[in-house]
Amino acid sequence: MIKLERASTTLAPYGWQLLPMRFHHLDADSAILTNMVGEHVFVTPDELVAVVDGSCVDQEVLARLRAAHLIQIPGETLPAELLAIKLRTKMRGLSDSTALHIFVVTLRCEHTCRYCQVSRQSSAKSEFDMTEETARRALELAFRSPSPRLKIEFQGGEPLLNFPLVRWITDEAKRMNSSHGKDLAFVIATNLALLDDEILDFCADEGVHISTSLDGPQELHNGNRRRPGQDSWQQAVAGIRRVQDRLGQDRVSALMTTTEASLAQASEIIDSYAELGLRGVFLRPISPYGFALRGRGGANYDVSRWLDFYATGLGRIVELNRQGVPMVEIYASIIAKKMLTNTDPGYVDLASPAGIGIGALVYNYDGGIYASDEGRMLAEMGDHTFKLGNVHDASYADVMLSDGLLNPLMESLALSAPMCATCAFETYCGADPVFHHATAGDFIGHKALSAFCQRNMGVFTLLLRMMRDDPYFRKLMRRWAQSC
Amino acid sequence: MLKLTGRTETTGFASPVTDDVWRACAPGESAAAGTLACLVPAGERPTAGYGLYLIREARAPALPGPAILLGPDLAHIESGDIIHVAADGRRVTVLWKNSALHNGLLLTEQCDNYCLMCSQPPKDRDDSWLFHRARRVISLLPEGARSLSLTGGEPTLRADALIGLLEHCQQVAPRLSLHLLSNGRRFADPEFTRRYAAVGIADIMVGIPVYAPEPGLHDFIVQALGAFDETIHGILNLASLGQSVEIRVVIQRHTVPALVGLATFIARNLPFVGQVALMGLEMTGLARPNSALVWADPVDYQRELVEAVDILTTAGISTRIYNHQLCVLDRTLWPYAVRSISDWKNDYLEICQSCSVRDACGGVFTTSGNRLSQHLRPVR
Repeated sequence: MIKLERASTTLAPYGWQLLPMRFHHLDADSAILTNMVGEHVFVTPDELVAVVDGSCVDQEVLARLRAAHLIQIPGETLPAELLAIKLRTKMRGLSDSTALHIFVVTLRCEHTCRYCQVSRQSSAKSEFDMTEETARRALELAFRSPSPRLKIEFQGGEPLLNFPLVRWITDEAKRMNSSHGKDLAFVIATNLALLDDEILDFCADEGVHISTSLDGPQELHNGNRRRPGQDSWQQAVAGIRRVQDRLGQDRVSALMTTTEASLAQASEIIDSYAELGLRGVFLRPISPYGFALRGRGGANYDVSRWLDFYATGLGRIVELNRQGVPMVEIYASIIAKKMLTNTDPGYVDLASPAGIGIGALVYNYDGGIYASDEGRMLAEMGDHTFKLGNVHDASYADVMLSDGLLNPLMESLALSAPMCATCAFETYCGADPVFHHATAGDFIGHKALSAFCQRNMGVFTLLLRMMRDDPYFRKLMRRWAQSC
Repeated sequence: MLKLTGRTETTGFASPVTDDVWRACAPGESAAAGTLACLVPAGERPTAGYGLYLIREARAPALPGPAILLGPDLAHIESGDIIHVAADGRRVTVLWKNSALHNGLLLTEQCDNYCLMCSQPPKDRDDSWLFHRARRVISLLPEGARSLSLTGGEPTLRADALIGLLEHCQQVAPRLSLHLLSNGRRFADPEFTRRYAAVGIADIMVGIPVYAPEPGLHDFIVQALGAFDETIHGILNLASLGQSVEIRVVIQRHTVPALVGLATFIARNLPFVGQVALMGLEMTGLARPNSALVWADPVDYQRELVEAVDILTTAGISTRIYNHQLCVLDRTLWPYAVRSISDWKNDYLEICQSCSVRDACGGVFTTSGNRLSQHLRPVR
């Protein structure tokens, strides 16, 4: 009862053409092929060669490549049409620029963390506080953003040292939003040491999310995060519990910074998060800014040691999930979204075009406008490359159309950057003009020498190998892709 | 299982009745309507004025018009059911079973696909009368009729007839929930899709089969070169006009190895679809002669099915499993299983009697004969 034999719908050698594709050898016997929207197929190096030179006769391999829009029959239009739809979907967020607005309400802090990225100031000096007038002008700029969602993040220093302004900005933003109708969210980035009932009431009333720092177990955390009394960890843990009890389990998240002392304690760090019922861990490397660059800043480790740390920590998180403890590694979840969906996670540090300015704007305590938090830190060290103006005299157009923003955005675009343009992981990665400016002296850097490149290549290949080899991890990544 | 067609005896059928499609009604329901067939309760004297009377027992009292004696097989016919009566009155077919959740109207037996496992093999002959009959049924639908499937063959082959039928639906039964089964190829024509959308039916979904994530395998399964390209273009055209689409995947020997890839393809390329239905084989029609080519025992593809369902559901796509007996379905998949086998063709086996989940299970296709999973067993 067959009219059409199977052989008449299969591909003959030399019967296909290559669609835009890039590849990377993962191991001696495994390579990955990616298309322009990040769909990927694992093949053997021999299969890769046979597909490219046209001699492949393995219909199973060819069918997988056709399904992922990596090859097509000459004259077909559907693959390009579907790729275009997917690419458009991925890029959709670009027209809704700048969802994140960071308000540095004070530079003062009662902590003296070893790796602090901003110059600390003694808690008493109020000249490092943002004024209401500065905040009002910053809000006016923020509301000019086309994004239908606005997230206002209070940073410092320790923003709770200037809590009256936090409250004032929240009220003012809500008032202004009555005529804008944007989806408005607030985050306080705090070490929680100053948390009190008044602040908790405020967070409950206004739906504010708390983002805090937790470096891991007590000794590690307190070694990194110094404060009078050496009780930073105790304060953070007590604070996290209070927020969880009062506002709910998911209203507080924590970030960790990896110092050299952390490297041997990956599993212990993960477990300290699990014990607190925190469902997300962000295994971040230290940034090459601020005090971190000093000898005792904790940044004395290279990328390969950090990657070992990352792999160990990720392994522990997977193990916990297998045991029924739901936990997400946030960096992997951001990458999972890029690998497995058409939606860009909009994470400012792993985006191309870069996230500077169009992903986030930073308003410093003195009204200085910066393209990113790292750009502000460079300025504290005397490098004002990423300062886009001051809220007191710059218009929205001045800021967003400034050469100071557009040049680094255009120059660093991964799709056109040397070595990125041909990289199999370009769609998973991002451009980081601030990092490369700080470390290499230009917005692009030399990728063969770039720690950013080395680190991300390491993470991508690790995640892909794990997905290739472990169905459970594949399943976990699918869930993580939906979690961010 | 209900019999939907059966031989009947007649009384008073001196001349053929004028209409062939009737709705059964209780005595008293607007006798004026010429297309109502009065169900005469036992021992009662029927009201005059109906064009046709349906009786369940042979009896002496003269009836005021032509009557049909329904045998035991058709005794289930009740008020609200719509029947087709052969010109001589000797055969009655139920076209609309009012108490059933699923009712379908066959619009044509012609098709431009020739799927290896087609349960309703296409016939290349003029059957345009089916569209006329469907129109009559829709006109007669009882108040409160909720949903109707339009099937084939390929209902879009006669574009004008289908659009006309949909417009008729929109006019006489605007609140009806419609499900159109199509291979989707016709929708590759933007003008046809525009006309379809312009009918403006509020609740209509097209169920379109996609069997593979790439043309090579799909075109082989549907036995038509170029079908995949047209079908996917059709789905995209429908989506661009805001039309609701369901993707139907029949799981058979060739689709099993492609199932995970297909789920990935749908999640990535067609995530907007309203639903994906993963369907067990009905071993009837072409599936019988092609049995060796298409049969796959569900126990042998549970790993693929579990991963496919996980891929689809994590991507936020509503996913249903049809035509699978719970005893051969991985327990994690039970929440997705639907009692999908129409009540006129489902049945339970002897071994099902002691099964603890029998009532939640769709049973088996009576149409599949003996070609069933070798692993059916009662669940304790």
